[in-house]
Formats: sequence, C-alpha cells, structure tokens
Amino acid sequence: MLSSHLSPSGDLPHWAVWLALALGTASLAMLVVEMRTERRGTWWIVVTGALAVSALLAAVLRPARVSARETVVGSRVLVLADVSRSMALSGDSQRPRREARDRAVARVQANAQSARAVVFGFGDGAPVALSTSSPQAPDESTRAPRSDLGAALRALAASPEERPAAVVVVSDGRLDDPPEDAALSSLQALGDVLHVPIHAVATTRTVPPDASVRRVSAAGAAIAHVPLPLRIEVGCAGGLACDELEVAARELRDDGPPILLASGTARLTDGKAEIDLTITLERAGSHIVEVAIQPPAGDTIPANDHRLVTFAVARERVRVLHVAGRPTNDVRALRDWLKSDASVDVVAFFILRTQTDDVRAPQSELALIPFPVDELFREDLPTFDAVVLQDFDAQPYGLEQYLPNIERYVRGGGGLVMVGGQNSFVAGGYARTALAQVLPVDLDGSPNADGADTSGFVPDWTEEGRAAPLLAPLRKIVGDDLPRMPGANILGDVRPNGIALLTHPTRRTATGKRMPVIAIGEEGDGRSIALGVDGTWNLQFSELGARTGGRGYGALWDGLLGWLMRDPRFETAQLEVMGGCVAGVPASVRARLLPTAPSELVTLEVAKLDGRGTAFRGNAKRAPASASVDFDVPGLTEGAYTARLSMAGAPAARLDFACERGGDEWADSRPDAPRLEALAQATGGTFVFADDVASLRLPKPTVVSVERHVMPMAPPWAWSSVAAALLGIHWIARRRGGLS
Amino acid sequence: MTAHPRLAALLAKFGKATSVRLAVSAALVSSTPRLAAAFGDIGAFDPRVLLTGSQTDSARPSAPARWAVELLERTAAPARLHPGSVRADDPAIVDEPFLYWSGDTEIPPLTAAEVAGLRRFFALGGTLLADDAAPGAQGDVGPFGRSARRELARVLPDAQPIAIGPAHVVFRTFYLLERAEGRIEGHASLDAIVRAGRLQVIFSEHDLGGALARSTAGSWQEPVMPGGERQREHAIRLAVNIAMYSLCSNYKDDQVHAPFLMQRRAMAVSH
Repeated sequence: MLSSHLSPSGDLPHWAVWLALALGTASLAMLVVEMRTERRGTWWIVVTGALAVSALLAAVLRPARVSARETVVGSRVLVLADVSRSMALSGDSQRPRREARDRAVARVQANAQSARAVVFGFGDGAPVALSTSSPQAPDESTRAPRSDLGAALRALAASPEERPAAVVVVSDGRLDDPPEDAALSSLQALGDVLHVPIHAVATTRTVPPDASVRRVSAAGAAIAHVPLPLRIEVGCAGGLACDELEVAARELRDDGPPILLASGTARLTDGKAEIDLTITLERAGSHIVEVAIQPPAGDTIPANDHRLVTFAVARERVRVLHVAGRPTNDVRALRDWLKSDASVDVVAFFILRTQTDDVRAPQSELALIPFPVDELFREDLPTFDAVVLQDFDAQPYGLEQYLPNIERYVRGGGGLVMVGGQNSFVAGGYARTALAQVLPVDLDGSPNADGADTSGFVPDWTEEGRAAPLLAPLRKIVGDDLPRMPGANILGDVRPNGIALLTHPTRRTATGKRMPVIAIGEEGDGRSIALGVDGTWNLQFSELGARTGGRGYGALWDGLLGWLMRDPRFETAQLEVMGGCVAGVPASVRARLLPTAPSELVTLEVAKLDGRGTAFRGNAKRAPASASVDFDVPGLTEGAYTARLSMAGAPAARLDFACERGGDEWADSRPDAPRLEALAQATGGTFVFADDVASLRLPKPTVVSVERHVMPMAPPWAWSSVAAALLGIHWIARRRGGLS
Repeated sequence: MTAHPRLAALLAKFGKATSVRLAVSAALVSSTPRLAAAFGDIGAFDPRVLLTGSQTDSARPSAPARWAVELLERTAAPARLHPGSVRADDPAIVDEPFLYWSGDTEIPPLTAAEVAGLRRFFALGGTLLADDAAPGAQGDVGPFGRSARRELARVLPDAQPIAIGPAHVVFRTFYLLERAEGRIEGHASLDAIVRAGRLQVIFSEHDLGGALARSTAGSWQEPVMPGGERQREHAIRLAVNIAMYSLCSNYKDDQVHAPFLMQRRAMAVSH
C-alpha cells in the first residue's frame, strides 16, 4: 500500500515542532488581542501579521512531502489448547470436551484474520505445536496426564521465539496450575510471565453426574510396618444424590486377591468430603493400593470410582527374625553382626537346651524361656522383613506345621535365609516340605539322602558370583580368597529363578553340576538364600580374618541381607516407567544396568499383578558404553502390573506399577469456568464460553513501512527569505497604523 | 550300640558325650535323613588354653575338657571334648573366639610377639577368661592374677577392668546366678575389660578351673571351699554361662527375655 503526506523536516525533534507551533499560535493570539485593544490599523495589519507568523513557522518547520510503501502485520496470538485427559470427559450435550475445544480453536483462527494465531497444546511441561491442518486422532489430543498452564507459559517465555501480543487459553478449567483456589496475585503472576493479557475460553458448562475419588494424599513417606495415614477426598457432582460414600483401601498383590487395609464412611457436605484411613504396608518396595468408593446409582464415570496409588515403601529398620537351633560360633558371629547394625531390628530365639539335656537345676534357676513357635510363625511372621533359620531342625519344635506359612510368607514378599549346619536343609527335615518350594536349591528327600559332607574345602567362585553386586563388598575385601569351610550341607541343583554364587570344588549334584554352597533365588514376591555351610564366621576368626580385620564377614552379610531386602546397591538393574503409565497409551520402560551386569542381552516381561496373563515380553541388547536399555511397551489396559527384567547369570529386577485410565485428570470431572474467568480478569484478558468465542477481542495489527521517500517543498533559504519579507511588510503596516 | 553304620561313624568321631545326645536325638527322629550331621563341630565351644612365656599347660589341665563335657551334657551347645591350646604368639590364636588363661604363679612379661598376637585376637572380638588358680582364701588376687592384669594392661592399654555383678548378662546366659563362685567363694562379682559393649577379658579370682578339674580316676581333683558341692555346682554353672556368653553374646539381654527373667528373679528372692 502506497501513501503520501506532509511532514516537518526530519532533523527536528518532536518537541521542537510542538514548541514552534505553540509559539506561532501564541503570536497570532497576541496579535488579535492587540487589535481589539487598540482599534487601529485593522484588517491589513492582521493579514500581514498572520502571513508573517505562518512564513516564520514554515521557515522553522521546513515542510516536506513524504511518500511511503506500508504493510499491515497481524499481532502474534498464542492459542493454548488443553490436551490433558480431562478433555476426553463428557462435556456439554454429552459430547467430549475436546470437540468444543477444537471448534473454539478453529473459530479463534477464523476470526483472527488480522492476527497471526499459533496453536499449541498444553498439558505436562512445555507446550507442543498442534497442527490444525491435519487434525490429530482424538486419543492423541487428550493424552497429557496433567494440565499445567503455568509450566506452558514459563516455557514460552523462555523460548527465543517472537513474543505474543496475547494468549488465548481454551480449556475446561480443571487445571493443575493455577490451582482451584489460586490467589489473585498468583493469577496476575501468570500474566506477568509473558506480560500480555490472557484471554480464556471455557469449553464446558455442564457438570456430569459423577461420584469420584478426587484425591489421595499420604502424610509422609511410606515406611514398612509403620502406619501410614491417608487423607482421601471424595466428591459427588452433577445432581447425584449421595450423602455418604463407602471408601476402602486395598493392597493389590500377586499372591492372592486384594487385601483390605482400611475402610470407612465419608459423609458429604456440599458435594464433597474428606476421610482419613490409616494403612500399614508390611513390605518394602513398590506396592499398589487401590482406593475405591461404592458409587451411587447414576454415576456416569465409573473409571474414577477408584484410584491406583503406587507407594514406594521404604524401610526405616529391617526387622529380622533370627532362629538358631543351637549356639555356635557361627550363631554368635551372625548375632553380633545383626546387633551391630543400627538399621536392623533383631528378634532372636536360640535353642539353648533340648529335651535330652540334663540341666541339673529347677526351671526357676534357669534363664530359659519357651520358644513361642506358634506366635512367631502363625501370628507375627508378616511383621518381619526377613527370617534367618540357622542350623535349626524343624521337627522337635513343631515348626513343621508352620512351614506352609513360611512358604506363603516368602511368596508374599518376605525374605528367607537358611544357614547351614547339622540341623539344616536335608538334615533338618526340610526336603519335600512347603518351605523347600521357596528355597533356591533342590533338596534330596529320599530316605537315604546324605545330609552333609564333613570334609573341609575352600568354596569356588562362580562367574555369577564374581559379577554379583551382593558379593562385591566381600570381593573388595578378600578378593578371590575364601577361608576353609569345615564341611557343607548337601544341596541339590539350583532351582529355576535361582543362581549359584559359590560352589563346592569337588562335589557334584545328582545331575553332575557343581554343588552350590551359596545360592540365591526368587519365588513370588520374595527372595531366599541357601547358605550351605556353617563356617562363614571364619571370615572373621581365621588367618584371612586377621589379615582383613574381620571385615569380610560383615561384608558378606551386608550383601546377603541387602539383596534379600532389595537394597538398590545390590540390584543388577533398576526399572522405571518413563513418564508413568496411562491405560491404552504406549509406555517406555527403562532398565538401568550395572556396568558389571553379566549379560548384554536382557529380557523384560510385563504381566498383570494378579497373574492373569503376560502383557509384554521383549528382548533387547544393551548398546556398548550404554548404561540403560529402553523397551517400548504397547498400551496396557487399566490395572496393576509387575515388570521383571531378567538376564543370564543375574537375579531378576522387578518393578510393580499401575496404569490408570484417567488418573488425576479424571479424579474431579467438574469443569471449572470460574477459574478461567478469574485468570482472564487478573491478567487483563477476556473470558468467554466456547459458543461465544466470536466476541473475543484480539489485538490490532501493526503497520510497518517498507519504503519511504522525503521531498522538501522548498529549500531552507527560500522559506527564510519569504519569512523575512513578510515580517518586513508587517512591520511597515504596523508603523503606518500607528502601532509600534 | 546303634544299628546304623553312619551314626556309628559319627559316634566314633565325636566322642562319648556327643554320642549320648546324638543317639537320643536319632532315636527320637530316626525317620529323617540327618545322619551326616555335625560337620559344624568346628564352630563348637572350644575352651582353648592360652600359653605364654614358658607355660606348657594350664594350671588345671583337666578343667577345659570337663568344661566342654558339662556344656555338652547340660545345654544344646556343641563343645570340643578335646580342647586345644595355643601360644599367644602363634598365628592360630585368631582361629577361635575364646581363650582360657590359667595360672598359679606369676607370669613373666609378655613378649612383643605375644602382645601383638593377643591384640589381633581382641581386635576381632575375642573373649579371654583369665582364671587365677591360686587366689587368696578370701578371693584376693594372687600372683597370676596380678601379673595377668599387668600384662593385659599392656595389651589393651585403653581399657581398665571393671566389676560386673549379677546384673550383667553373663550371670544369666543360661543359669540365673546370684554371684560368682569357683573353688574359692571369693568376691561376688567378676572383673572384666569391656570394649564396644563386649566382655573381652573376664578376670576370675575364684579358681574356676579348680572347681572343674577332675583326676584321672574321674573324681573331683580339688575340694571346694567353703560351700562344698553346692558351691562346685554353682561354679560349673558359671563356667556354662561364660561358654554361653562366648557362643550367644548378649542374647539374654534381648527385651523378649526380660519379663520371664524378672519374674524368676522375683520368685527366687521370695523363696
């Protein structure tokens, strides 16, 4: 577009132009006042005076003709469309909210003919550009697990892109940031991030009939055996009639049906209520707790009637039950080590007297107490993190009837160590029992089975033992050296899911394999260790012990107990679901491997926690110099899962995790238009509903000159000459009129 | 005699006292395959005799074996029926966690090698019983006791002996004992060097070995004064408790035992 106009000389500042105009106007005004006062000379003095002032003004301003070629540039407007999962919920007319969102975005673009509208989707973290020319699949535009507007604005402010003139937010208003009860100052702060007004378009008016678990929060970290208070917020909306809701917390387990941890009744006021339930998780590691309500009739969103919450349960102290069949140097060494560790809480029972011993004293003169086998192995067993059976014969003390309890305890996540001795393994009558099913080695149950080999030997390291993180502390101290053992329990082959770390140098199992001396294994959720010797105390009392300051014994048990308790230091791999798991959405599972992992090839298996089928199984090879392996897992259905990473020569790594359909985004299904309105008002923007988006006022375009020519109307000397001449004429006219 | 050849082999290996228990146990549970048991004998209580200077045996040579027999017969703990001996400067001093040092005369100063050997033993957490075989009639420290304290002060210069009475766990590791007794009734308490909460040296001025010693004919070698056989029984019980302390450490200090033991102490007082 070409335009032309007059303009004062370009070398004059604006203030000089205005000063000249003001002085000229003042001169004319004084002339008029003078004529009215004197009543002489009249019209021709006025004419010459006006001409002289004009000429003088022209001499100062030196007017020029400006010709310019100009263009109009539309203002940059950022349209931030909510792509969180809540946009898949039902909105007005029982249509998904994303439909109203998409229509509103299209109208904003259509109405913004004089503006440059750029559409981004916001959800979790930085916004991503949305293509409006090729519409995305509905699922892809409602995938974000959060709706964090604050993070999106901050990411845009940090971007080197052109700053926008305005921001338009299209959402249902159920945002993570700003929160529901955000103060005015924090809303204004959001506007200050980009220093532009934020216009808001609400997609939804209708509240769906819905009862839900809106929030589950824990007071502090989850510690094994320690009661954990949960605060649970439930709500009813959309015209549902519910004065009370039954709330229950259950632990989902792989060894049976869910276990009820706590329950209660929430009484609702104004459609919401909070209830405190206290749960106690007995095992460390990742555990999944389902918090569910009993929804009233008419509930339209059943997916948010329950939440799956994953707790990473830590240990404050490891509770160990140490049972020894007789006092020996081996028992003393283990007890001293357990008692020396402040993080270990030991409950010990040693058999100090058998029925055949002649104590030669009445009971009142003995410091002996009954062995509470029933209490320990029927009632208290779940409260322990690990059970150590050291040289303990099951039969004389009635433990046989409780061996199925110990089996269930291990499968349910407990740890078991059987330490060798004359009363352990086959010699202790454990073959063909329920407990044998959770040991990492086979036991010979035949009537003529050998219980022990009493010849001394020095154990051999296996390749797996050399690479195992749990024996790394021991190897660091003793290297390849091991003390001589006085004998060994006869153990069979390592069972599936088991690994031999040390073996006998000469003895073979029935299948011809080297007889394990230390073997580890997993059964169900739990782990077990078979230590087929009773001479590990020689790591402390021996020439080797003296040379190493006796530290080898503690290092061995630190690794054994640590591995049993899934201490990350002793795990070959760590698993993580990157970005969490959303039902129906492909997930990425990352396995971080120790550099000493014995194999480059790893296998990941993802299965339902309740054992109802394998959802994924894949192999991958670790790239050279890489510490991790990623697995792309296809979309999983809603529920609890366990992922196991296995590799040759190393125990499996495990992670339990949950996949939810809606998660936090569906927990509260009510749209929140007032929050959007408050945001718009606080930042100087406009609030409208989606069906009224045409009324949204977008910023005006900017005019930019691309070509400009300046032509002076006359040279400066001409303006000065004319002004001098006219001033002279005016002076003559004044003299003749009798004025000074 | 047992009918099973494997059991017969074990009986031959572990001697008479062990044989008695194994025979009874085998009779009770003969249906289970447990006949290759007892390879863990190496972890049994071994009242090894400590020899220093020109010593060739303890002052009560038969006492350690009797100690082992009493432990075997009265408790579930295994014990070496033929206890060994070790010199203080022998590298094998660190092979076991217990030493029995007994004498009736003053001992010469320990050599540097003997001091070093004992320090290695204590550094690993070992326990030493220094038993004065010739204390005064009232339990006063005799020449051996004085010299043993002097030399152990060189070995462990950072710790001083303290008195331990019936409140200490060593008086309730198996039997509930009201006081210390040996061949000599002496003081009610023992002296001990305690490091890191553990008894590392126990000083007895009661001639504990004298109460245990047997003649080759099988009778008690020394008369027990003034309490007679009742005092001897108490001395044996103290020896059993010391062995149990060596094998179980402070097990009886665990909270689970407290209510039972308090009740029995109260009953003993009321009776």
